[in-house]
Amino acid sequence: MAINLASNLFQTSILLYILAAVLALVLIKRDKLCNIVSNIICIAAAVSGVAASIVKILFVSNTVNIDVYNSVIPFVSIDIKLDNLSAFFMLTLSVLVVCVSIYSIGYISQYIGKRNVGLFYFLYSTFILSMVLVFTSSNAMFFYMSWEAMSLLSYFLVIFESEQEENRKAGVLYIVMTHIATAFLLSGFMIIYHYTKSFDIFGSSAAIPEFAKNVVFIMFLIGFGTKAGIIPFHIWLPRAHPAAPSNVSALMSGIMIKTAIYGLLRFVLCYLGVESTWWGITILLIGIISAVLGVAYAFVESNIKKLLAYSSIENIGIIFIGLGVGFIAYAQNNYMVSALAISACLFHCFNHTLFKGSMFLSAGSIHYSTHTKNMDELGGLIKNMPVTALFVLCGALSISAIVPFNGFISEWLTYQSLFASIIYEQADINILSILAVAALAIAGALALASAVKLFGISFSGKPRSEHALDVKEVPCLMNIGTGILAALCLLVGLFPMLILKLIDGPVLSLTGTSIFEQLEGGFIIAYMPMSVSGNSISPLALIIALAAIIFIALLIIRVIGGKYIERKYGTWDCGFEALNSRMQYTATGFSKPIKIVFKIMFRPSREIHITGSQRYHPETIEYALSSESLIEKYFYDPFYEKITKYSRKIKYTIQTGNIRIYLLYIFLAIVILMAYIMFA
Amino acid sequence: MRSLVYISVQLSVILLVAPLVNGIIGKVKALSQKRKGAPFLQMYFDILKLLKKNSVVSDTSSWVFKAAPYIFFSSATAAALLVPVSTTIMLQGLPGDAIMLISVFALGRFFMMAAALDTGSTFGGMGSSREAMISSLIEPSILVSIFTIGLICKSTSLPKIMIAMMGFGFPLANSVFILTFFALLIIIIAETSRIPVDDPSTHLELTMVHEAMLLEYSGRHLALMEYGAAVKQLVFITLLVNVLIPTDQLISIAGVGAVAISLVFYLIKVIFISLLIAVIEVNTVKYRVFSIPNLAALAFILAFIGFLQYFVFGGIYV
Repeated sequence: MAINLASNLFQTSILLYILAAVLALVLIKRDKLCNIVSNIICIAAAVSGVAASIVKILFVSNTVNIDVYNSVIPFVSIDIKLDNLSAFFMLTLSVLVVCVSIYSIGYISQYIGKRNVGLFYFLYSTFILSMVLVFTSSNAMFFYMSWEAMSLLSYFLVIFESEQEENRKAGVLYIVMTHIATAFLLSGFMIIYHYTKSFDIFGSSAAIPEFAKNVVFIMFLIGFGTKAGIIPFHIWLPRAHPAAPSNVSALMSGIMIKTAIYGLLRFVLCYLGVESTWWGITILLIGIISAVLGVAYAFVESNIKKLLAYSSIENIGIIFIGLGVGFIAYAQNNYMVSALAISACLFHCFNHTLFKGSMFLSAGSIHYSTHTKNMDELGGLIKNMPVTALFVLCGALSISAIVPFNGFISEWLTYQSLFASIIYEQADINILSILAVAALAIAGALALASAVKLFGISFSGKPRSEHALDVKEVPCLMNIGTGILAALCLLVGLFPMLILKLIDGPVLSLTGTSIFEQLEGGFIIAYMPMSVSGNSISPLALIIALAAIIFIALLIIRVIGGKYIERKYGTWDCGFEALNSRMQYTATGFSKPIKIVFKIMFRPSREIHITGSQRYHPETIEYALSSESLIEKYFYDPFYEKITKYSRKIKYTIQTGNIRIYLLYIFLAIVILMAYIMFA
Repeated sequence: MRSLVYISVQLSVILLVAPLVNGIIGKVKALSQKRKGAPFLQMYFDILKLLKKNSVVSDTSSWVFKAAPYIFFSSATAAALLVPVSTTIMLQGLPGDAIMLISVFALGRFFMMAAALDTGSTFGGMGSSREAMISSLIEPSILVSIFTIGLICKSTSLPKIMIAMMGFGFPLANSVFILTFFALLIIIIAETSRIPVDDPSTHLELTMVHEAMLLEYSGRHLALMEYGAAVKQLVFITLLVNVLIPTDQLISIAGVGAVAISLVFYLIKVIFISLLIAVIEVNTVKYRVFSIPNLAALAFILAFIGFLQYFVFGGIYV
């Protein structure tokens, strides 16, 4: 009974996405109606997606088979199955789509009459549909086709505002890198097919020999890793995510990079089966590097969306750390630690979707009101946009992993999994694990600093340019969309056991161990702590304690100090003239100390031009600060130069423009083919 | 019932003793300069005086500025509930472990930095940005030290760590714990803004880190911020002394007498560490801001070598 319910809800969800896409094209001339109708249908589709996932994980123990259509393309059958892992990622996707669609009704209203709204919603609905198919397809070729569709549709969405050149360049870089990555994926699938003669994801991988499995793992790591944005394959991410419209950025950063995590879990852990520890060690190392470098680059950014994009790289690093520890433990048959680490990884995927989605939507709200993404031009927005400021504060507290928001819970689980892995493992992984702990710590502290910078420089103080003067609060629907995500951040942080119950489903099917053996805690209510291997935390108890202390402090201060009397005056200006907004700290200045401390990585350089007749009374000073990107300079630029050089050489050698040479090529091709037919 | 006793004893001890630590450090510094100095109880008088004064609030600031002192103070006090001053009252404190302790301090630090940026003054931004640098460089050392001690005691929950450390007799006789002790000492100096990281008694705004973030506060807000900083300092000192210099195993009686003797031992240990911090303050100068990473690196190396000492080269603890 429940299986039919889950199946029906899931099919409804897919059909509604298709309906939304078709209606977007039908209503292509009527922007306002298209805006409302497409979004409402997407919301309905996502709600039924949420319901389908929850019903599947909690009530249905077998895999839900939707349908199998044999298509005319050989080897490709449209084979959609919903098992626990797919259901969990569907849930994450659907929760995000509900909130982004509510937000889009208000956000896209600024495009009505100026751009092709119908085309946008067609691309939007099919993009979401392609991600649903990526999560649920069970034929490797169909998975590959959905993956390609997802990449292509997101490319069109990234270059939606194509009149700006940086958006076009970002789009080109994105599509080239994602296609190279997809080529690696295709090679992996081909190798698997060569040994197993089937494209079924739920089949057996026993026929694949050891060295082939290692090669396939490398292919999948590069392929999925580029989509996830690990260092050094990340250079497309900080360019593509800011270029897209903000609701698309929220989708891309919130759920598209998680398709890579799904791919690694499905193909490497579930299908290939992890037997060597070096797989997990590689992933752990990649996670450590991405976490630290990602947040270091985030902290020095002044563009809000670029900062958030680099922060996504950092969080992918944290997810990879959990994944790596899980793989290492799995390879050593330590299933309890593996279950703990994989649940930390999945929980951080879910939490990152919530808070990063909320932050990108808020960045879109800021852009809607002020028409700039540069923090150095903002300031003082909290006076006119108090609701947006509150949601950015919630998002900032979640990014910094502060109790009692949700970012803390998944980081705590990652720390506990590292703790458990050091206690039970051999010595050679201990050093890497403690370095992972140190990396998580510095990443957490720098993430807190970046979050304070984003909130403080954009919203507090005085406006730094005329972009930030006379701003108005954004439309109500945009705030509702952002607000639901921010509220979920707080709720999931206070009641983590709800989501852990849902995570238990996939973890049980992946590792065979339920985390609830080591994870005790109450289901919904009050004081029950969540405890892992005897270490317990209770975020709810903490927030009650904080509220109680504030209340008692207010009482005591009222008794001792009397009524609160305040006088408003200007900020302290050392007795000189009133402060102007140029005297405040800028985003660039805020991150200068870290830039200097890590100057081996950032290589900052500055140029100062002083004009004026006298040396100590300058008329104007021009100051330019730049830093170079090491990875691009030493890894990508030489690579790009060499490829361009050799391509040019080969081009002029082969394509000579002489028709006699081309006739000779045709003749040689015919000779070789005839020889092949005769002798093969 | 026991938890109520635990909470009340814990809160009253930490809230009452916190300003005394500042008094002792101030008195030692004054005596070393051949002055009489302020009385030991000066900070109590200062806080009471500030609570009765009116506040001057900048018109550039918003609700974040006024809410931050309350959030900072309550986060420091909630952290105080996580670190037991005496293990004789109750074996299990508030549900929370050492990693949550660091995160609770992060809550206070977030709001302090956000409020400093809220006033739109240059000094607030400067204090925030330097605090960002110092705290991010110190965090790895804190977590590696806590993990080392936690792994030896097989738990990250602080009451369980303290009880496990009591089984070692005198932990500071072993090199692992000596290294961790000095790492934690440097961490305390950095987190509580003492010389050589930051001068708490400076008047020059360009040399301030912590004080620059409090520059705009007055009246009850300033009282809460100062008191919160003192409570945070005492919580860190409690963490250091109760974990690395455990004395509760020397108590052979039980009941209220045991609690009383345990608290007396605790006070003696706190006074000892305050004197140590004061001696360090007297004998060193404040470092340049960009020499602080060297100090943070030293703390990390000490903590890391402590970890290696135990896990890679083996120890006599199992």
